Amino acid sequence: MSLMTMIIKMSEGLSKTCAIFFLTLLFSLPLGMIVALLRMSKIKIVSAVTRFIITILRGTPLMLQLLAVTYGPYYLFGANVARNKLIPVVIAFSINYAAYFAEIYRGGIESIPVGQYEAAEVLGYTKFQTFMRIILPQVIKRIMPSVTNEVVTLVKDTSMAFTVSYQEMFTIGKQIANSQTSFMPFLVAGAFYYIFNVIVDWVMGRIEKRLDYYR
Amino acid sequence: MAENKNNSAEKAKASSILEIRSLQKAFGGHVVLKDISLSVERGNVISIIGPSGSGKSTLLRCASFLETADGGDILYDGKYAMHDGVYASKAELNRCRTRFGLVFQNFNLFPHYSVLRNVSEPPIIHGVDKETARERAMELLKKMGLDGKENAYPFQLSGGQQQRVAIARALALNPEVLYFDEPTSALDPELTGEVLKVIKQLAEDKMTMVVVTHEMPFARAVSNHVIFMDGGVIVEEGHPEAVFGNPTQERTRQFLRNYQR
Repeated sequence: MSLMTMIIKMSEGLSKTCAIFFLTLLFSLPLGMIVALLRMSKIKIVSAVTRFIITILRGTPLMLQLLAVTYGPYYLFGANVARNKLIPVVIAFSINYAAYFAEIYRGGIESIPVGQYEAAEVLGYTKFQTFMRIILPQVIKRIMPSVTNEVVTLVKDTSMAFTVSYQEMFTIGKQIANSQTSFMPFLVAGAFYYIFNVIVDWVMGRIEKRLDYYR
Repeated sequence: MAENKNNSAEKAKASSILEIRSLQKAFGGHVVLKDISLSVERGNVISIIGPSGSGKSTLLRCASFLETADGGDILYDGKYAMHDGVYASKAELNRCRTRFGLVFQNFNLFPHYSVLRNVSEPPIIHGVDKETARERAMELLKKMGLDGKENAYPFQLSGGQQQRVAIARALALNPEVLYFDEPTSALDPELTGEVLKVIKQLAEDKMTMVVVTHEMPFARAVSNHVIFMDGGVIVEEGHPEAVFGNPTQERTRQFLRNYQR
């Protein structure tokens, strides 16, 4: 098989890689905020339970979580394994990344000086207005570098979908490597991820720059 | 007759913007305010002086509902915000909040907002239309000597300028009384003058103010009532000339002597 054919075949899986990537961000970024707020809840039981769930999601392999979400329903209830594996894959990725984002958000929220809340309160901002207008914009600026880190990791982590045989780029590459006994597909995959991340870095850099108008 | 007397007493109370009666506050067993009473009449400028940890700032923070007091009464315009240690409804507290403004030691400007937005957004969220809020903000900034700075961000300003923006922001909501919590303590010495000048100007405009300060000459010159606090109680109070010129309490004399050095 020529290199060109390999690249073309693997590019076909790239759209699925992108699907995992964008859908995971779409769901995990807001879900992470909900988890962060639950984690910071004044109701002790809520924050304790949330904290426990976060430790599980961060303390066990993503690969295991992928297997659990994809095949768990079959072993537990005898339910059919999802036909479209994208659904369990995105669920597993979103939940896992939400746990990481939640901790980043929490760090960001807790780093905002209490004076910001006090000023807003005295000026008659409601709690919701204070969070949306005063706190959140400052949090986003502060956490951008950590979020970029996670997003870069996510690009590479999409390759883990091969464990449930979801036909994304890396899975296809691995199949070609096996059938052709060639290492070439892995180099191609590496190049794909690298280029993907160069773009991610550029985009995130642009966003950080746009938030650079204040200190 | 007795009823009449009661009535006039009620009316007299109603003329105070803020009235505090036997306010108490402790932080985990450490008593910060013991039985503080004070009344703020319209047009008055009250300075609160005293050593660090005497409870001055806590008093202002209780009056602004940033700290929860443990006991006593807080009344705004004769209406209870707290009655015998029990706070009024959220709605009533919000109404009280519109009566005062607070200027913090550390300014607490919103760093992601321009100077103009810092001053104009609070009225806008209270329902003032954008154009009016903007015009009023520009007017206030001009009054604070900040014309031309409306599009700057707080980090681009000096401490003194930031504090003047914070004063404009507090004034934008047209409070009946303005509280200052050590407004110059975070400033370099050469910048305190510009902030004190602005406060002085407000005093001349008959703005009602309560100022917690370590600037003794300023307190003496600007206020018409001085309160000296120590250990959570009001040790001495009265006309500035009396308190500064002829203090009756040994504790006051000692404190002022330390300041004159």
